[in-house]
Amino acid sequence: MAESVRVLPQNIQDMMDVREWDMRTREGIQRFRELRAKSLPSIALDNELVYEAIIPGQEDLSAEIRRRYEEKNRE
Amino acid sequence: MSKNERYIYRTHGVCPPEIHFQVQDGFLTEVRFIGGGCPGNARLVSRLLKGLPVEGVMEFLRDIECRNETSCPDQLFKALSDARNGALHPAHSFDVYEDCQPRKSIALIGELGGRLDILQRLVEAISRENVEISYCLGNLTGHAPANKDLLEFLRKQSVLAIQGDLDWCYSQGTEPAGFPSLDQKERDDLFLLPHLLSFQLDGKKGIAFFGEYVQRMTGFSDFDPFALEINMVSSLTQFFKDETVFPALEVMVPQFQAQIILFSQPKEWGHWQVGGANFISVGPAATARGLNWGLLGGNGDKIHFEIMQLQD
Repeated sequence: MAESVRVLPQNIQDMMDVREWDMRTREGIQRFRELRAKSLPSIALDNELVYEAIIPGQEDLSAEIRRRYEEKNRE
Repeated sequence: MSKNERYIYRTHGVCPPEIHFQVQDGFLTEVRFIGGGCPGNARLVSRLLKGLPVEGVMEFLRDIECRNETSCPDQLFKALSDARNGALHPAHSFDVYEDCQPRKSIALIGELGGRLDILQRLVEAISRENVEISYCLGNLTGHAPANKDLLEFLRKQSVLAIQGDLDWCYSQGTEPAGFPSLDQKERDDLFLLPHLLSFQLDGKKGIAFFGEYVQRMTGFSDFDPFALEINMVSSLTQFFKDETVFPALEVMVPQFQAQIILFSQPKEWGHWQVGGANFISVGPAATARGLNWGLLGGNGDKIHFEIMQLQD
């Protein structure tokens, strides 16, 4: 899952900060529960669970990140 | 601030067989002489040393003779020296006892709460069954005044026990107000009980622990042996109260060392199979329906678990 984020094009990488959580740790579990996630792997964008138990395609993920970035910067 | 490291030193030539101590940033944060000796003096020494720099106390400890050309302070000096020069490694935050004998059938006893009469009835009932050994997952102690007698009785039985959260508090001298007091010897006996038990049942690896207090122990690491199983049961599923996270648990199970996980904090009986692992909540010995114990057996690939009931 982390790899699918790392391989995103640079212009998409520039729009975001990435944080990876280790589910073996109590900190990772706490974050997982805060997001009300149910399965693994999961991706949250802007603290919102968006992908769960699937690895999104690069185009899907890039489009969703771009959409959110543009929405926030429109204001 | 660096990690609070916990050490266990096996003594030579003195009454207490072990010295347990903790060091953080070069300061002693805990010292405890376990299993014998002069409990009053040992506690005084522990209190005096707590919070002092290791380097500062060492000169006061060395070359004191009591018996066998050594003493408790001298042994502590050796322990601190070994820790300082790397000959003594930090211990895991929690103690694991390994039941090395492969088992076919195990009796599971949950919370006894200091009720010796209940333990005696369970032991008698279990002895009539074809069971190799009994595990007690705690709490052994409770409000009942027979805590001491129960611990004495337990020592004479073929029961392997681990500490429950109240047992752990007793061992630390931090039991809640209003609970019956215990002598230092019984507190030490509780202290020496492991926090986690590992076993083999019909070729499957199993572990037994009480609950989330283990995660609060000094120096607990998410990467200690069996910490993953503890974290998944205690933190992720919150003792199987939250079934919505079972898909995540299923993904994590292949990383487990154990395929059978026993715990007893929820104080109710339960059995779940997720991702090929068996999770069993061991309920209290006494419930409204009578006295209970669990029968755990192996049958080829499958685990057999049954709650056995005695009528009051």
